[in-house]
Amino acid sequence: MNQVIALITLRQLVSRRRTILLILLGLVLVAVAGVFRLAGEEARAMRFTAGLLSTMGVGTLMPLVALILGTGAIGAEIDDGTAVFLLAKPLSRSTIVLTKLAVASACSIVLTCAPMLVAGLIGVNGWGDGLVPGFVAAAAIGSVLYAAVFVALSLVTGRALVLGLAYVLIWEGLLAGLFAGTRTFSIRQQTLAFADAFFDVPKTVFAAKLDLGTAVVVAVIILVGAALLAIRRLGSFEIAGETA
Amino acid sequence: MTIASGTATVELANVSRWYGNVVAVNDISFRLDGGVTGLLGPNGAGKSTILHMLAGFLAPSSGTVTISGAPSWRHPQMYRRIGLVPEREAVYPFLTGREFTRANARLQGMSQHDAEAAATRAIALVELEDAADRPIGTYSKGMRQRAKVAAALVHDPPILLLDEPFNGMDPRQRLHMMSLLRSMAAEGRTILFSSHILEEVERLAERVLVIVAGRLAASGDFREIRRLMTDRPHTFTVRSSNDRALAAALLGLPTIAGAALDGGLLTVRTTDFGDFSRAVSGVARRAGISLHELLPTDESLESVFSYLVRR
Repeated sequence: MNQVIALITLRQLVSRRRTILLILLGLVLVAVAGVFRLAGEEARAMRFTAGLLSTMGVGTLMPLVALILGTGAIGAEIDDGTAVFLLAKPLSRSTIVLTKLAVASACSIVLTCAPMLVAGLIGVNGWGDGLVPGFVAAAAIGSVLYAAVFVALSLVTGRALVLGLAYVLIWEGLLAGLFAGTRTFSIRQQTLAFADAFFDVPKTVFAAKLDLGTAVVVAVIILVGAALLAIRRLGSFEIAGETA
Repeated sequence: MTIASGTATVELANVSRWYGNVVAVNDISFRLDGGVTGLLGPNGAGKSTILHMLAGFLAPSSGTVTISGAPSWRHPQMYRRIGLVPEREAVYPFLTGREFTRANARLQGMSQHDAEAAATRAIALVELEDAADRPIGTYSKGMRQRAKVAAALVHDPPILLLDEPFNGMDPRQRLHMMSLLRSMAAEGRTILFSSHILEEVERLAERVLVIVAGRLAASGDFREIRRLMTDRPHTFTVRSSNDRALAAALLGLPTIAGAALDGGLLTVRTTDFGDFSRAVSGVARRAGISLHELLPTDESLESVFSYLVRR
């Protein structure tokens, strides 16, 4: 970790307008929970909150936040040319990548887990037998996984935002629902498997579709693989020159 | 501070770089060991590609690029010896000039205290004190450029690589920056800067490398290359009341290398731009011909550089 890079990255991510949109998206999650609480349907509270946190929280907010912040952590600097000021320094490329990844992950965790925590507390009017902290803890792990993938993607292609969105919408949103095999490589399904392991609620309230063992193994592979890919890509980073 | 010579060596040996089938740099070799060198050439000639390879941001397709004897590619430790001013304008807009310069010092491994002092010194060198505590997003182009130079100088490197460093600077700032770079070179640093503006190179560089279409068209003392540029044949197009008679009259001048009438347009080649410009109106008047138009056709830098390539 490099403190200077971390602070620059943090200020860069926080100062962008997209971050405000992500905060608003989190507030929508809280607002939906608030509307449900006002409706006073206490009997459905656990099932509703589990559905809200798994679909809107883990399924929508978490990947979008990590996508914007992960691709913006270093990809935006490469696009606008400011990356040169970091790269022209006697720093190992792993230090730069891991610092960027740590900041993108931390920001993603805050912007995902805070609204999920508040929405969950409102939805079940308490901790919900561990349901709320379980989902929040799983979302923290999922945020790190997504951030790693999107940081790496931004170093592989200039269209990381589009490809990341395609992964979230098509692979995770569509294919993972249709074909069981594709769930293995879905960070959303891995996150839900972690959440399921963190609390003990009836299967009628919530049940993950991916088993925990598979989720842990694939998540570790994704995290390490994405970090190594990002370090390797940054190590051979080239600035396109002009041609005669 | 005086930099020991031999520690600030920049060298390209038979370096080529291509993108697919397109050659950007074609078998270039040179070695710099102190002083100010201008990398001169038209836009797209390959200057930035050369600087990017020296700065470790492009791998040569063939040949070797070394900084102080070590390869520049995949060697981050060499950045202790390099100060780099990239051509692209973007600088973190949310940082102040002081924060940006200090961050660069910290990233070079300086302590907080040393970085503060180094940033203050670098900001003073580029005369940016008045704006140092304003966000860079509010800077003019020239101020951003000076902030980039301050960041490049902050760790006092023996080698400076500057890609179009005078872009956006006003004439006073340019003169100041040139004087600063000259004094830094006098202390033993190796300074390589690119420019497509002949006059910038003429004022600052002791040595020049002329790059045309990816090749090293000329290198060495600037005055010698300037003489080659000045002495080259110049071409004018002329419109008059009687082009044929004017062509015949002009051929009597000793500095006329040739004249041609092509499609009703008279083209004249001369070996002396100044002599021809002064003489042509007198020749026309004596022949009773009215001159309507006299245009030099090859005054672009590209044509000057092309001439050097053909030699």
